[in-house]
Amino acid sequence: MKLIQNYIQYPEMFDEMFDKKGITRDIYKNFEKFLSKTSVKNLNSMKDFAQQFFMNQGVTFTVYDDDQGVEKIFPFDIIPRIISYSDWKIIESGIKQRITALNLFIRDIYHEQFILNDNIIPAELIISNPNYLREMRNIKVPNDIYTHISGIDLIRNEEGKFFVLEDNLRTPSGVSYMLENREITRRLFPEMIPREKVQPISDYPNLLYNKLKSLSNKKNPVVVMLTPGLYNSAYYEHTALARLMGVELVEGSDLLVDNHYVFMKTAGGLKTVDIIYRRIDDDFLDPLNFKAESVLGIAGIMDSYRQGNVILVNSPGAGIADDKAIYTYVPDMISYYLNEKPILDNIKTYKLTNKDEKDYVLKNIDKLVLKRTDGSGGYGMLMGKSATKEEINKYKLKIEKEPEMYIAQPTLNLSTSPCLIENSLHPRCVDLRPFALFGSDGIEVCPGGLSRVALKKGSLIVNSSQGGGSKDTWIVKN
Amino acid sequence: MDRYMERSYGLLNLIKTNYNSTLDTGDYQSWNGILKSYMGIDKSISNENYQDSISVIEYMIFNNSNPNTLINMITKARENARSVQEHISREIWVAINKYFLKITDKKFYKYYKKNDPIDFINELTQFHHIYYSVADISQERGNAFCFMNLGKYFERILQSIDFLNVKIDILESNENNLNESYFWKNLLISIGGYQLYIKTYKSIFNVENIIEMITINQFFPRSIKFSVDKLYSHITRLNEFNKPESNSLKFLTGKMKNELTYSSISSIKQDGLKNFVYKIQFDLNKISNEINNIYFYQNN
Repeated sequence: MKLIQNYIQYPEMFDEMFDKKGITRDIYKNFEKFLSKTSVKNLNSMKDFAQQFFMNQGVTFTVYDDDQGVEKIFPFDIIPRIISYSDWKIIESGIKQRITALNLFIRDIYHEQFILNDNIIPAELIISNPNYLREMRNIKVPNDIYTHISGIDLIRNEEGKFFVLEDNLRTPSGVSYMLENREITRRLFPEMIPREKVQPISDYPNLLYNKLKSLSNKKNPVVVMLTPGLYNSAYYEHTALARLMGVELVEGSDLLVDNHYVFMKTAGGLKTVDIIYRRIDDDFLDPLNFKAESVLGIAGIMDSYRQGNVILVNSPGAGIADDKAIYTYVPDMISYYLNEKPILDNIKTYKLTNKDEKDYVLKNIDKLVLKRTDGSGGYGMLMGKSATKEEINKYKLKIEKEPEMYIAQPTLNLSTSPCLIENSLHPRCVDLRPFALFGSDGIEVCPGGLSRVALKKGSLIVNSSQGGGSKDTWIVKN
Repeated sequence: MDRYMERSYGLLNLIKTNYNSTLDTGDYQSWNGILKSYMGIDKSISNENYQDSISVIEYMIFNNSNPNTLINMITKARENARSVQEHISREIWVAINKYFLKITDKKFYKYYKKNDPIDFINELTQFHHIYYSVADISQERGNAFCFMNLGKYFERILQSIDFLNVKIDILESNENNLNESYFWKNLLISIGGYQLYIKTYKSIFNVENIIEMITINQFFPRSIKFSVDKLYSHITRLNEFNKPESNSLKFLTGKMKNELTYSSISSIKQDGLKNFVYKIQFDLNKISNEINNIYFYQNN
């Protein structure tokens, strides 16, 4: 019980487990019972067990710029993050709505461009955007689906309302950690998971395979997973997904294009490939069409794609819709394409191309977070509150040079969740990345997702590349 | 010896898989089916919660009075090994003896009480993996090795038949069940065939593919076809070593092997799965009797 009594919440943040008065929320009541009966020693041994589990399974990721070595365990906190089924239903429908609109937007941008002609989104924002691929103009993609696999980052404000922080529509990663986190928590809390009716997620690889398969007209299409290789930070995830789906994991050099068809080199000769779940960026996909120096991709694959001989997942050019500058227009897209109100709102975002908004941002930089519109993984960010004067001045110069490349958002208050740190419970900021799959039979969102945690005290940065960790996410139906 | 080792390995895998599936579904009643088919306990015990899972596992591993528990099977395997020490390699004997000493150690029982069952079962399965590899690298390829393998593959076929017999009815009626893929996944994991299944048939679970894999897939080391092929090659070698008067054993096994080679899922369906399984059992009985006649029956 001491564990809970000594828990001190962050001020002005929504805590997932306790309300402002420190009373345990209903969905955490049973977990509280468990905590009150267990000892710190026991929790620590559970933590060790989890760590050993990840080591044994080889669940590691690579951090760039790290002198100490390349492979690390993804820090994992054993206390699950719990979300009620009713809250989940809102998230689920919000994500479905959002992805439907984003997909329609991408289709429109690469075809008729109604949304630009109707002046809903300024055309220069698209034309000048590095994620806009002219090569995709007027290409008919199978089933008109561009965003097959997406990860939508959500946060909760001080009232507990969910907001969308970011859409990840290119090659969102983290799903294998979501699966492994559940593998370990079901071992750590064997009684609680069935009792609380935690929604299962282990079917994700089957669902993913079936969604991929649904894109082809063939009865038994050949699906492969394309990885940049062993040194990619998400390599573990690539191998895990390929293994769980029973598909081949290939690198660019394992594939070739002949007469506009893609083939895989196998011990038994060349084998036609129908669907490629690629985990490499657009730029590196095809040296003949994009970066000529890329050795990760396959020469001529875009021509094969154009002819409809191979299906690429996600579609090249989908990144245009998860750009941070485009993000501000998603609510407009939802109303434009679907004539609906957004179920999940955006965070207030300032566009630096707008003079008034830019002036406001430069004056109030200490209260804001600035981001590059094409950045990801927490790189290229400036946290106004904690940055030095020198850093701010440098950043201001960058903004003056290319204002269209930056956006600003108020310093966010993420929600917090209790974490076991040095023998006691401490609040740490969390976000939530649910994963959605879009196939010819519609969109499905895997119940839960990856809850990422900022493990440093007071930190808001949850990215794994910046020292973040993760927790299991329980959607409880009880 | 090998039959006991193979059977206990199957039991451990089944326990692990079922425990795993109860963590997702909370279906503690599922233990009853296993208690019935593996422990011969017919009366229905009400398994309702996690603690019941722990007690059931404890029973299946440590109970002394039921001959089908792990501890008793390992004890018997060790007795067998002791009585044929001059035929088996020293390393095999040590591997089994160590396993026996570990599982009968009181400290190990206490360790079970404290630890995660999956970790515990993984530790036990390691003894089997050591046993299999030690047998592979240290046992001379003579009569003893062939007899060991006959025991192993007989047991495997019987386990596959059990699997087909017990589950087919449920499978057919549950084909469109919501938890279908869970169910299949766990079933396949319990016989070590999940990885091969998704590679071969991808993530689409259907009764036909699963039956095909368990009966006639030549690459699946637990399929009936694979095991019969192995029986045939060991019986052929025994024939070469011992030159028995009658060729009937090799003839019976060769016939069974060829029947399986020229079976397909459609021919199995045409004959009916029950008939197919019955025929396998019938042929296996004949082979077993013939082994006894030729190698163990003392003609005075």
